[in-house]
Amino acid sequence: MRLPGPRRNTSRSSAAAPVPETAGVSTSAPTGATARSPLPSRGWAVRRSFLTDVIDNERALGYLLVAPVVILLLALVAYPFFVAVGYALTDRTLADPGVFIGLENFELLWDSQIYRQTLRNTFIFTAGSVTIRLVLGVGLALLLNESFRFRRAVRAAILLPWIVPTVLGTMAWLWMFNPNFSVLNYILVQSGLMSQGFNWLTNPDLALFSVLLVNAWRGVPFMAIVVLAGLQAIPQDLYDASSIDGAGKFQRFRYVTLPLVMPVMLTALVLSIIWTFSDFGIVYGLTRGGPMNATHVLATLSYQTGLASGNIGEGAAVSLTMLPVLLVLIIWQLRRIRRSTAM
Amino acid sequence: MIQDRRQARVSRRKLPAGAVAAPALTALATPAIAQGVLKGTKLTVLAGQWFVPETNAMLDQLAADLGRDTGMEIRIERFAGDELMTKTAAVIGSGRGADLAVGVEFDTYIYAAKLTDVTDLADEIGRTYGGWLDSAKAASVVGGRWKSLPIGQAPAAWNWRTDMFRAAGMNTFPDTFAGLLDAAKKLHAKGTPIGMTLGKASGDGRSTNYPVLWAFGGKEFEADGKTVAINSPGTLAAVEWYKEIYQSFIPGTTAWLDPDNNQAFLASKISATVNVNTIYLASRAAAATDPARKNIVDNMEHGQWPSGPAGRFACYNVNVWLPFASSPNKAGQREFLKAWYSRAFLPKWTKIGQSYFIPQLAGFDTEDVWPSDPKLKIFRELNKLNRLPGYAGPPSPAAAEAVNKFILVDMFAKACTGQLTPRDAVAWAEKEYQQIVRRRTRT
Repeated sequence: MRLPGPRRNTSRSSAAAPVPETAGVSTSAPTGATARSPLPSRGWAVRRSFLTDVIDNERALGYLLVAPVVILLLALVAYPFFVAVGYALTDRTLADPGVFIGLENFELLWDSQIYRQTLRNTFIFTAGSVTIRLVLGVGLALLLNESFRFRRAVRAAILLPWIVPTVLGTMAWLWMFNPNFSVLNYILVQSGLMSQGFNWLTNPDLALFSVLLVNAWRGVPFMAIVVLAGLQAIPQDLYDASSIDGAGKFQRFRYVTLPLVMPVMLTALVLSIIWTFSDFGIVYGLTRGGPMNATHVLATLSYQTGLASGNIGEGAAVSLTMLPVLLVLIIWQLRRIRRSTAM
Repeated sequence: MIQDRRQARVSRRKLPAGAVAAPALTALATPAIAQGVLKGTKLTVLAGQWFVPETNAMLDQLAADLGRDTGMEIRIERFAGDELMTKTAAVIGSGRGADLAVGVEFDTYIYAAKLTDVTDLADEIGRTYGGWLDSAKAASVVGGRWKSLPIGQAPAAWNWRTDMFRAAGMNTFPDTFAGLLDAAKKLHAKGTPIGMTLGKASGDGRSTNYPVLWAFGGKEFEADGKTVAINSPGTLAAVEWYKEIYQSFIPGTTAWLDPDNNQAFLASKISATVNVNTIYLASRAAAATDPARKNIVDNMEHGQWPSGPAGRFACYNVNVWLPFASSPNKAGQREFLKAWYSRAFLPKWTKIGQSYFIPQLAGFDTEDVWPSDPKLKIFRELNKLNRLPGYAGPPSPAAAEAVNKFILVDMFAKACTGQLTPRDAVAWAEKEYQQIVRRRTRT
């Protein structure tokens, strides 16, 4: 992490250098001087307006520049969030604003077998999918970092599952997993590998694995591309140096690649966990949470409770149970970022 | 309280609309609306896509004609599947965006406080067409008042293959549940099993499974709609029957979504399933060019539900017109509904609809609204059978939640797959039902 620091400094100073030079070429020396300190030019210096005060005052300017982002975050993130928290504490329905009922929604949820099963499913779904994403994503990134023919084309193609709209990808998988017309089963049976194929979406355990697999399929490209970017940022001289020191292929991976790619990989990992944990489209498209709620995840249950059944309060409570998990992850991630930028 | 707030909102909305909206509101009380009153007003109607394309085209035509006659600007906004439901919820929540929407029977109950009272219109329509069927009243009357107007119901029938049944030694569709079980075994032995949807299929899941519960005397609620009555000997008998017939099903039915039984039937993989007449209509449309589809058309029939120990029942999806109380154009709303139920429109719309959606009007039994195709003949009888979820209570929000959560479907599925014993499956369902009710009866 210390490496990029000095490099950034040198690049900044070298970028700054040409400015006065080009200014000097086109005009006379005095203009070159103003270019170096543009603010207190003649006209502005005379009438110092409120605006110039603000611009001169670094603190105020800072707040001014941050304001749009803060306003956007408040309007699009904070407001809906607090509204949802408010809803979760009421028995609000689509037609009736309801009354404050404290934590009763959460108590009711905990009493429901469907909810407890959903919670369990969500954790298995997330852990399974993220593990596959991580292993396959890093593996793919390592392969893509090697040089081979059509490397650019392959790198672009790898992104496809990530680019294809969720609904389309899910439809294709639905055909492959179809209870009666599964293409995968057809291939397995025709090739003589199996006598009757798998019950991809019918067997409750296998169904959870199937939706998890599709989620992973969709997420692997992101992991691979992010890790690949991290790999490409590793200077070749580190590998050369470690080779001279006698490091083998595995040791180079263990002591050079892994530590240097770790920060970017962890970021991708956290994002993957968050996205998987709150995924809706794949489960809804493939199984609607069935068979017998075996694939219900918090997002689909929240939709079913809040919108389909009209219990806004309870639906909000279901989705808010994602909060503690996501909060821990986000705090951890933020602290990590702060620590690394402080260095 | 809700009433007051709603009125306040309406009067606030009146202001920007100016002079046009004001007379429209006051005109609500007067029966005849002069043409000039609606001129320049706007009416937004939310709709989905009905399966028979001509019925959608007729809705568009009605809007165009009415717009021309009254000078009202009518817009039909179409949404696919669940999107319509979400959009309706948004209109209810915000009080703006549309004046009318196509909804389902549960919507009447969930949104009752936010819908226009259309009792007088419903009475008038009832008088015109020989009275409403019970399923219509159940779908639209809340607390003695009509809060929506039934568009129709889509009867689900047993779609069965005459050739496959004949090969298994049967010439008719069984008329008892014992007979159906026996038939399923024979068909399974011949390699042409039947299949009943036990998955999270919002349409078929309901029309396939509720009739089984009722046929054995099971019910979800007592008449008060609040007392859970699912745990009964009748329910247990239904679950046990299901567990046995499931052994003769095609594999995979617990994962079936709405399209799956259609596909299996069209591919000749199953000999019978419960479905609306769309399998037949789609095959008939393609029969001229596709020999496989022609084969289906020639060798299929529609049969009614067998009779169980407690009788013969069916459960169909219902569509209703939801008149939003927040609409600033109540007069336009009313005019549109009047046009829809007019003698000039509704019988024609029903006939062209090929018995896919049938208005629940008793007088239609003797009118020329039925398709001439002999294979669709039975739908005239099926139309009289519908019972709505929530029985013996009304199709209340609690009943709707049970449908949306597939409690009944999963109860059967859990027992069929052996995940729970029949007794435990019923107990599981009872607990989930009690939860749903507990949530609704909170003080």
